[in-house]
Amino acid sequence: MTKEEIMGQLTEIFRDIFDDEDIVLTESTTSDDIEDWDSLEQINLLVAIEKHFKIKFQLADVANLENVGSMVELVSKMIA
Amino acid sequence: MSIYLITGATSDVGIELIKTIAKNGDKFLLQGFGNNTDIKHLCVERNIDYIYFEADLSSSESTNNFISKLNDSGLTPTHFVHLPALRVINTKFKNFDEERFLADINVQVMSAIKICKYILPKMSKAKFGRVLFMATSYVLSNPPKNTAAYIMAKNSIVGLMKSLATDYAPSGITVNCVSPSMIETKFLSDTSHLIVEAAANEHPMKRNAKVNDVVPAMAFLLSEEARFITGVNLPITGGSIIE
Repeated sequence: MTKEEIMGQLTEIFRDIFDDEDIVLTESTTSDDIEDWDSLEQINLLVAIEKHFKIKFQLADVANLENVGSMVELVSKMIA
Repeated sequence: MSIYLITGATSDVGIELIKTIAKNGDKFLLQGFGNNTDIKHLCVERNIDYIYFEADLSSSESTNNFISKLNDSGLTPTHFVHLPALRVINTKFKNFDEERFLADINVQVMSAIKICKYILPKMSKAKFGRVLFMATSYVLSNPPKNTAAYIMAKNSIVGLMKSLATDYAPSGITVNCVSPSMIETKFLSDTSHLIVEAAANEHPMKRNAKVNDVVPAMAFLLSEEARFITGVNLPITGGSIIE
């Protein structure tokens, strides 16, 4: 799966989690760009990503994700 | 001699509670649904006098049959501990199947109502009774997102506890809840490990509760010494919620 495809699927997950069909993700998108993206929602987001891509994150791996770009990078590595 | 009725008895909490409170001469009326190997093994190993009832508490018919069999046993419980709950699913409210709300209410609340309607008049005649419901620390503060059905049912059980405590205090019956923070048991098998680890990480003691953190407080509320404690929802949170 290409990084663009992962980004596309992450966008759908973000739209569902945050109830906002207008969300457009870029690699530099961070929690500052999405109003409801707090630490609790971060966990819900990661759980949804795990379920969608059938992967299992370690808390330590996801604790310091800087932005959507690093999330795409991590998913890409895990499904490779 | 005490006669304990424990619903949801096959849970990790149920099994630990039986280990903690069982004394010679006590009888246990145990309800479960599904795998009952551990509990039967425990009762045989410890020579516990028990009757096991298989009942699906999400079904009104199955719950009624259970109560009918309870009646057929001829035993009147002195203690009732109500533990059952469906495993928590993490789902956005808009995606929740409405049937799931009914299932949670049936398993946790309607079953408690039906059983209490059966046993409380008997306890009232005996002028003694201990009733204990399992709630959750999530009823004490902001609940986690995406758990609406579970939270709704748990808040209902706390409401039922308060009402029954008021109604039956004159009969010497105590009715209480315990509200533990997240306990690491097989009940969490449908909960993401990320949620479990994050809860431990955010906890002031840097860990989630263990079954044996919770059960001694339950045993106390069931004891003779707790005779003047009723209508209480006891937090067992290790400081994650301080009221």
